[in-house]
Amino acid sequence: MPIVIDPKICREGCTICDYFCPGDIIYRISPKESPVVKYQDECWYCGICADNCPVDAITIVFPENMVNCQTDVRTLMGLPAQNVSRS
Amino acid sequence: MASLATNLEAQKEPIHVLETDVVIVGGGVAGCLAALGTTEVGARVVICDKCGLLERAGSVGGGTDHFTAVLEEGPEWDTPEYLMSYMPALLEGVADIEAVERLVQGLKPMVHLLEKLGVDFHDPENPDIPYYRHRAFGMPGAYTINFDGTNFKHIIGRSARRAGAKVLERTMVSDLLMVEGRPRGAVAFHIRTGDVYVILGQAVVIATGDANRLGKNASGHAFDSWHFPYNAGEGRAMALRAGARLANMEFVDSTLSPKGYSTQGLNAFVGGGAHFINALGERFMFKYHPDAERGRRSDIINGFITETREGRGPIYCDCTHLPEDEIRRLVNTLGVDRPALPDFFAQKKIDLTKEPFEVCVTEIASVRGGQPFRGSGVHIDKDACSSTPGIFAGGDCSTTSSGIAGATVMGHIAGMNAAHFALSQPKAKPLTSNEKDQIREMLYRPLRLREGISFHAFEDQVRSIVTDYVGYRREEIRMREGLKMLRTLRSQEDRIKAEDYHGVMRVNEARSIRINAEALAVSAIERKETRDGAAHLRLDYPKTDNENELRIIMVEQIGGELRAISRPTGLNPTPPPKKDIS
Ligand SMILES: Cc1cc2nc3c(=O)[nH]c(=O)nc-3n(C[C@H](O)[C@H](O)[C@H](O)COP(=O)(O)OP(=O)(O)OC[C@H]3O[C@@H](n4cnc5c(N)ncnc54)[C@H](O)[C@@H]3O)c2cc1C
Ligand code: SF4
Ligand code: SF4
Repeated sequence: MPIVIDPKICREGCTICDYFCPGDIIYRISPKESPVVKYQDECWYCGICADNCPVDAITIVFPENMVNCQTDVRTLMGLPAQNVSRS
Repeated sequence: MASLATNLEAQKEPIHVLETDVVIVGGGVAGCLAALGTTEVGARVVICDKCGLLERAGSVGGGTDHFTAVLEEGPEWDTPEYLMSYMPALLEGVADIEAVERLVQGLKPMVHLLEKLGVDFHDPENPDIPYYRHRAFGMPGAYTINFDGTNFKHIIGRSARRAGAKVLERTMVSDLLMVEGRPRGAVAFHIRTGDVYVILGQAVVIATGDANRLGKNASGHAFDSWHFPYNAGEGRAMALRAGARLANMEFVDSTLSPKGYSTQGLNAFVGGGAHFINALGERFMFKYHPDAERGRRSDIINGFITETREGRGPIYCDCTHLPEDEIRRLVNTLGVDRPALPDFFAQKKIDLTKEPFEVCVTEIASVRGGQPFRGSGVHIDKDACSSTPGIFAGGDCSTTSSGIAGATVMGHIAGMNAAHFALSQPKAKPLTSNEKDQIREMLYRPLRLREGISFHAFEDQVRSIVTDYVGYRREEIRMREGLKMLRTLRSQEDRIKAEDYHGVMRVNEARSIRINAEALAVSAIERKETRDGAAHLRLDYPKTDNENELRIIMVEQIGGELRAISRPTGLNPTPPPKKDIS
């Protein structure tokens, strides 16, 4: 889960993250329930939601393949992968 | 399971018809200034954006920190004429120079207009100077204004709203309405409720930004992109369908980024004094540009690619030689453009003072081939008019652009000229109810499909083809193979399925991504040379060919197929005598 919203901290009635998220990822349907991260795999990891949350209820958690990326960079340039991972 | 017919019956999304003069597609930087331009002329305007709030919509909704401008404050370099004397050399002889000149002339008045709207161009670290300016890499003067642009987008969005623009948020434009080769408005829908909008107007401004999600990245998350992943080149796709031309599509953009996270930050690192080193521990960038890390971005990418291809990767970014204070300052500024970047380093547990970190080239994007002032996309003239009368464009979807500065100036010009055009035309005719029903049916077909493929699966195929066949390993045979595959993929477009209205938005984006990729391939095949470092890197034509290739390559859609045409630029790319632009 890339975006973690702490329901204990989230402020009732606030909709900032829902409106500010540029990707339509976060939905606050009801003012009483905390927002839902509806399309996690479409997140930009911009941090705009966390940055603008008035009570710091949002944490950005980078998934393993971002933090500890093992992709062979050569494959991003149309070159064949090397057998040994270089990272 | 409900039959197709009952599904259709059950879902009769309401259709709202709006009448206006100018429809603006995209409410980012260019779109907001276009709205202001339109209202100044006295025309009515509707502006649509997919984002939730106009004041936050687009690439710089999270904030911005620099604006490039000529201000005529006194120094020799600070005039439009001086900058223009370098322009053919800066743009390597490939640009629409009249349009570029219009942009450059418009910078100073734009700074003043933005100040009137409430933008404060003071640098927080240098509050006593009206404009804190520095020289960006490769530029012949200190044109870059550093400022705290946290509220920049908020201010221009609010101004557009206050000027009387009708704003439709969370509303995606799916296509333009055309009649006898002229715009009649646009079709849009609400990405949450599904309400359909038929917006009738006599002129259109396309301001949909750049095209992303085009190539593979290191993390494998499609939306982990250096630029704004929700700009998928839709305006360019609409322009092609409406008969307008694209240009400069062969040039691609990318940057170097911490491996696994495609993000802004390169400028901050190299500006702060970081070095790139290869697996042998060599500081190698001097081989690719005399200013090494401070060279043009496309040369830096070229250096990265060549070192990796020749077996000297991985490549690292090294800050360990910098004073601790400088590193701390650096880390603090990283969050300005990308608030989550400091979190990334924290989660990676990287201490910049102690160890270098691995960097990686980001995915391929289509913005402006790493150049200021020249863009890729809808081909516009100095009046921001496309090759189809009534369709105007501004910002990163178009061929004359340059960050927020270019988007404001050309967006504003597009808005004003669209207004003049619209007011000179008879009002757009209303649609029959039959036509409206057809529009809804076409729009929501992906929702009514019982079987199909996901937009993710479709896009992954495009990204693989772009990366493997037309990305950084450009050779005639491979590119032709890639182009064939991209054309074959078109037949799958009708099978991309959506689960909800948000998903319909992604289906439309996926289709635009494919056509942007096709335009890229067609243009890259046509340009038989290497130009602008990694922006157009051909293995079979490794040299720049100023004899034959000083031309603008354009793409148009004829009978469903894209084809390239070109015209000479007539520019001389040699720098003016005795002036050093490196
Ligand atoms: C994080 C980041 C930081 C940057 N910092 C700077 C900086 O400091 N200085 C600088 O000069 N440049 C900066 N840039 C570049 C700058 O943001 C762009 O050059 C500029 O925003 C281009 O303006 P635009 O209007 O063309 O695109 P955008 O501002 O991105 O606007 C495009 C808009 O169109 C909307 N849209 C797209 N398709 C549709 C559709 N089909 N229907 C409805 N709406 C649609 C999008 O939602 C978006 O809001 C930065 C870019 C990024 C990503
Ligand atoms: S990080 Fe950005 S894209 Fe992701 S949920 Fe937050 S605001 Fe939306
Ligand atoms: S911005 Fe913070 S407080 Fe507001 S809804 Fe989102 S999580 Fe809750």
